Amino acid sequence: MLRIKSIHTYYKKIRALSNVSLSVRENEVVALIGANGAGKSTLLNAISGLIPVSRGDIFFKNKKLNGLKPEEIVNLGISQVPEGRQIFQPMTVKENLELGAYVRFKKREKKEIAEDFDRIYQLFPILREREDQVSGTLSGGEQQMLAIGRALMARPRLLLLDEPSMGLAPKVVTTILKTIENLRRNGLTILLVEQNARAALKVADRGYVIETGRIMLEGDSEDLLVDNDVRRSYLGKDYEKFYE
Amino acid sequence: MNDQPLEKIRKISWKELEQLKLERFQSTLNRVYQNVPFYHDRFKEFQLDPGDFASLEDIRYLPFTTRKDLSDNYPYGMFAVPLRDILRIHTSVGSGENPAVVGYTNRDLANWKEIVGRCLLASEVSPNDIIQVVFDYGLANWGRDFKDGTELIEASIIPMSHLPSEKQLLVMRDYRTSVLVTTPSLALHLIYTLSFLEFDAEDLALKKCLLLGEQFDEDTRMRIEKGLGVKVWGAYGLSEVPGPGIAFECRERCGFHASEDHFLFEIVDPETGEPLPQGEFGELVITTITTKAFPIIRFRTGDRARILNDSCPCGLSLRRLEFLPERTDEVIVIRGVKVHPVQIASTIRKKLNGSNPAYVVFVSRDKYLEMIELWISVDDSLFSDKIKSLEMISETIKKELQDILGIGVRVKLVEPPTLEPYREKLGKIIDKDDSS
Repeated sequence: MLRIKSIHTYYKKIRALSNVSLSVRENEVVALIGANGAGKSTLLNAISGLIPVSRGDIFFKNKKLNGLKPEEIVNLGISQVPEGRQIFQPMTVKENLELGAYVRFKKREKKEIAEDFDRIYQLFPILREREDQVSGTLSGGEQQMLAIGRALMARPRLLLLDEPSMGLAPKVVTTILKTIENLRRNGLTILLVEQNARAALKVADRGYVIETGRIMLEGDSEDLLVDNDVRRSYLGKDYEKFYE
Repeated sequence: MNDQPLEKIRKISWKELEQLKLERFQSTLNRVYQNVPFYHDRFKEFQLDPGDFASLEDIRYLPFTTRKDLSDNYPYGMFAVPLRDILRIHTSVGSGENPAVVGYTNRDLANWKEIVGRCLLASEVSPNDIIQVVFDYGLANWGRDFKDGTELIEASIIPMSHLPSEKQLLVMRDYRTSVLVTTPSLALHLIYTLSFLEFDAEDLALKKCLLLGEQFDEDTRMRIEKGLGVKVWGAYGLSEVPGPGIAFECRERCGFHASEDHFLFEIVDPETGEPLPQGEFGELVITTITTKAFPIIRFRTGDRARILNDSCPCGLSLRRLEFLPERTDEVIVIRGVKVHPVQIASTIRKKLNGSNPAYVVFVSRDKYLEMIELWISVDDSLFSDKIKSLEMISETIKKELQDILGIGVRVKLVEPPTLEPYREKLGKIIDKDDSS
């Protein structure tokens, strides 16, 4: 569904992504793991059209995304849940969700949008409870659910999740992960970017490891979980076991 | 029945495979650049950066890796992971002064199981089959790989052993072996041996035979099919890459499907190193794209082959290789084991404390089995009036070569005039059947 071929992106004069190729098949959950600053968010922003690609191509269902405006890319079916949630704090939960469906109002899909509200509330019952609450007052986990719900209101085919577990308590992370699994079971395709490598690989089918803008490793997530380089760098394995 | 090794690749579309190859190629370049000093230096030397390789075709700008490079970096110079990540280490009977030492991480071992398992599944092996592996000691690594691959696809394995041919046949008969994995020359040798025993091929439960290690023509295939009452499949492998079954015949048996999800295959002109147009025969060059411990970039195999681009009736999207018998290098293949003149030269030098007598190496055949026959000229540097010390010389050289190569060697000390007819071919390996 998504095919990225050999892309370079720059942050001023620095090459932030170097020759990155990555793919996500329909109905897959793919994890992109790496340290802070490795280029994970940069990649999602490049897919969404928020930053330009200076070399290489991005294809979504065989259509080239290079040069398209972000809103055109959303229209094609890609929705991003940004790092740090970035919900519209002064607005209510309901208003946030409505805004998520913005492009669809233009298409006069009012009936479908109402159905989607139901679906989102089924997925995240707590949001129905807090429908009229100002979203800035929600807890971290609730805000994350709202951010995901908002992205889902655009009825995307591909969901880009940027660090959904960031700043959340472990119990909440588990809930979010369960949600991701649920979404996949309902036919969604997900590209998940995470610093919490273990959590990401547990829920993903495949993974890519990125270091300083370069893809170092790819494979099935169960293989990456037992890969020694991944364990040392990202899974916080006890160093004593290796060095003694 | 675990048929995943073959099924997962059967379903893949050409576009998906190309993307997969590109991703794995690029991440391999990033890893070797970072972890293997030999490759890092090469990149720098050619002023290249892994980021420059935007497509698979760009691989042509990378330098080759030869057997000599592997030998020069003995023992662990080409490993891309720390030693503690290596689960298995084996020596490849390399073709240089030093052998090539190869390692596997846990992931590599799993990959090899899959590669070999796929090769077996393509030969229609099922969990009902009992596989017996018969190789010379020099291919012991392949014996281990076949044990692993067999276990993955849930068939039964009688692992490689050092039994003589008669005993192998007895095991085959009594244990009801249904699949024989061996080299063409060993298969012929077994047929020959069988003719002296009290039972014949009909008493065996053999149904299939998988041949590797040497090329064979359709004539040989038919002889083995007739002689053992089996259907014969072939597979291709290398000891350095390392391992058997990286290309294999399917039920159509019209070419060797290459496991392109694990390796990149190129055909280049052996003289210039330039890539050849599609369909032309040239030297096969292999790059690993899933190997972690011992990745190799553009390894010159010395085998002559071409890539067939048309689709195979069996439906697999993996392209096929077609081989020619002649090699492009000085390596000789004897019972599946690769022998390079350099190994023989350095052994003689070592055992004779630096003297450099003239010698010729023959490949002779005895009951279909190839042997190395080394004729060394006893010149003044070697001459001794003690017969015992001369005998010692030939014994130690013979023992050392057999240990290194894992195949039978005969050493003969001769008077200088005997080598006169071969003065053009001193130090080289000659096929006795060819020499006049």
